[in-house]
Amino acid sequence: MTAARNCFAYQLLALKRSLVLSLAACLSVAGCKKPLPPHTIGIALDVGGRGDQSFNDGALRGLEAMAAGVRSTAHGYETLSDAEFQALLPADMMPVSHLPIPSPLVLSGKAQEDYEPNLQLLIDQGVELTIAVGFMMEPAVRAVSARNEKAKFLLLDSPVLDAAGKKPVTRANVRAVTFREQEGSFLAGALAGELTKSGKIGFVGGMQLPLILKFEAGFRAGVRAVNPAAEKNMLVAYTGTFDDEKKGVEVGGDLYARGCDIVFHAAGLDGLGVIKAAERANKLVIGVDSDQSKVAPRNVLTSMVKHVDIAVYQAVADELEGRFTGGDQSLGLKESGVGLAPIGGDVIPAINNEAKAGAIADVEKLRTAIVDGHIIVPGTIAELARFTALQPETFGLNNVPGEIAAVPAPLPAGATSPKPTAAPAKK
Amino acid sequence: MASSTWRQSLFAPARAPLWSALFAILCALTICFIAILATGKDAVNGYADLLQGALGGARPLGESALKGSVLVLTGLSVTVAFTVGLFNIGAEGQFIWGALAAAVVGNALPLPAFLAIPAALGAAALAGGLWALIPAWLKTARGVHEVISTILLNWVAIDLVNGWLVSGPLSVATGSADVSVAGTAAIRDEAFLPRLFAQSGSRLDLGLPIALAIAALVWLFLTRTRRGFEWRCVGAGPDAARAQGIPNARCIAEAMFLSGALAGVAGALIILGTEHRYPGVFRTGYGFDGIAVALVGGVTAPGAVLAGFFFGALRAGSTRLQLVGIHPSFAELIQGLAVLLVAAPRIFAPLLARLRGRASVSATAGVGASSEVGGAT
Repeated sequence: MTAARNCFAYQLLALKRSLVLSLAACLSVAGCKKPLPPHTIGIALDVGGRGDQSFNDGALRGLEAMAAGVRSTAHGYETLSDAEFQALLPADMMPVSHLPIPSPLVLSGKAQEDYEPNLQLLIDQGVELTIAVGFMMEPAVRAVSARNEKAKFLLLDSPVLDAAGKKPVTRANVRAVTFREQEGSFLAGALAGELTKSGKIGFVGGMQLPLILKFEAGFRAGVRAVNPAAEKNMLVAYTGTFDDEKKGVEVGGDLYARGCDIVFHAAGLDGLGVIKAAERANKLVIGVDSDQSKVAPRNVLTSMVKHVDIAVYQAVADELEGRFTGGDQSLGLKESGVGLAPIGGDVIPAINNEAKAGAIADVEKLRTAIVDGHIIVPGTIAELARFTALQPETFGLNNVPGEIAAVPAPLPAGATSPKPTAAPAKK
Repeated sequence: MASSTWRQSLFAPARAPLWSALFAILCALTICFIAILATGKDAVNGYADLLQGALGGARPLGESALKGSVLVLTGLSVTVAFTVGLFNIGAEGQFIWGALAAAVVGNALPLPAFLAIPAALGAAALAGGLWALIPAWLKTARGVHEVISTILLNWVAIDLVNGWLVSGPLSVATGSADVSVAGTAAIRDEAFLPRLFAQSGSRLDLGLPIALAIAALVWLFLTRTRRGFEWRCVGAGPDAARAQGIPNARCIAEAMFLSGALAGVAGALIILGTEHRYPGVFRTGYGFDGIAVALVGGVTAPGAVLAGFFFGALRAGSTRLQLVGIHPSFAELIQGLAVLLVAAPRIFAPLLARLRGRASVSATAGVGASSEVGGAT
């Protein structure tokens, strides 16, 4: 207490002089660059920001907890103990140790037009690697990486595009990591298709973009693979945003009210609203990006995990070992870039551990089939139209409802596109 | 009349607006400084970083001026509406429509630059102005209070544009599954606002001279023309103005149209300057901040210019607060406090005056406020 007060008084005393000094130093432009410790990594977040329990938090976990071994608190960074560090690692990641890097520089940008100055600021500060979180950063990365050819970038969720913003290009100083979300979503769909009791499954997307359509296509293919009837009944809705939890509550609540017992969301911050809706309706929800079971342990069946954290960790490790390269990377089930978080959720009594065990066994078989290339999961709605249900015996599935075995006649393209089945719950 | 007294006392130009605003800003900076110290952070370096992020070199100066130009226009928007006595809280919605119109026109019309930019700016002004005519009409025809209607119309605009048009009919379609672009289709290169100092890395563009020229025109119009005088008469005393044969409804409609047009052009500056499309996530609050700019600027055009650039610099510098672990919203705290400190004395001044027994000079607060307005004209 006294120490704190002394410190406060000291700062007040020192204030006038240091203010004058630092202002003078700063205004002489060159003088203000505080040298960063070597190997400092910078990260620029998108609108979701810290605390989205999803994509941004995944990237932060990879950089702060896994790579640097620190935790962010209100008072700055704390070093994690070994036990805490191990507990934070994703279940399907090899045991690793954290890397010898100092605490990272984290910039959040609330407004789209701030992304470019934020990236430039990190470079001006002298970071060794700049991480840009989210496809909305792409134009900023494109501009800043062209201007700063020596700086290195990791762009998550999008390739770098050409000047017209249409075609992917590669840049020598940008590693662009995208994920095959459709593969993980497929497993989530198969799990939901086997476990649903009402026969009605829902999907809530954020903005209707190709990125989010990958989730929808994969998820619907997964449901169709094991339970074509449920896929025909499926309700799909888009909130149109990624940063509006209230919309997620509305849209999710609507789907549950229409009889869905399991809803998968790929809607960023809106998804937290969908999870809230699941809690209110006492139904199950499948989370996205990070393991979201902590948000509502009784309602989250699983999460389609996108290992942004591993991609970040890997890039930092590569950089430290001098192996960092630009170019595109696509991470799917095979590369452990996507996957399912541990199964949980117990609000629906009929979906008990026994049922889950059977479904998990089937999902595991499907996972192997995808990794081995026996199943090509559709990534667009057009590809989804050509995707047919599985013959259960092909992959030795055992938990598939009986009547399905007869169904998998090839469906004409386009016939199974109940696209906007649910009217988006917008007023 | 009675319902507008608080607004008049809130907006009445202070007797020494520059000094009272500077004093308020200084107090706000001090309070925020203490607040940062109280959270145990390095406030000295934080402020140094803030300053450097705002003014330390070509790039930061460019960012400050870029954001400042937009805030000058939204501040002018609120200022213009207030000259006829209306509190336009709807600048945000008008800003959004202007931004969308600029994005659509900038994409659709194959024109050379000297036509494409005015066309996009004109469309933005028209879109923002038309949106602002709705509350003007509601006010004059139905007596709906403009504070209520403009607040509500903000959300109508946000939901219509962000929630439907930009994510639905106007969203850009890309072919491959790996390319995700949120927002509308990109505008043509010809419609990009030219950058003034591109080689220095600064993003400062033609928006700055445009905003300054508009501010000068608005100032001339409000203070040196007959119509501007009529608007101010309507703002100062609608009944007296009507008695003098000044058509209130027409003045309100014209002023609200101009107010909305200014906010719309502000939206266009962002789209044509840096974003080059209407982005998928666009919630920047420039319209709401326009209220702060207008209030701190003493509801005058030159005041809006000064306050706009100050808040622009604050916005640009706030990012750097994060470098020393200070949350960037402390910059918003400075802005909020400045508004509070500018507005508070005017809200409480009549009350204080009465408590001190000086009320005999002006029998009611309403008369006191009107005489202030009258004295400033």
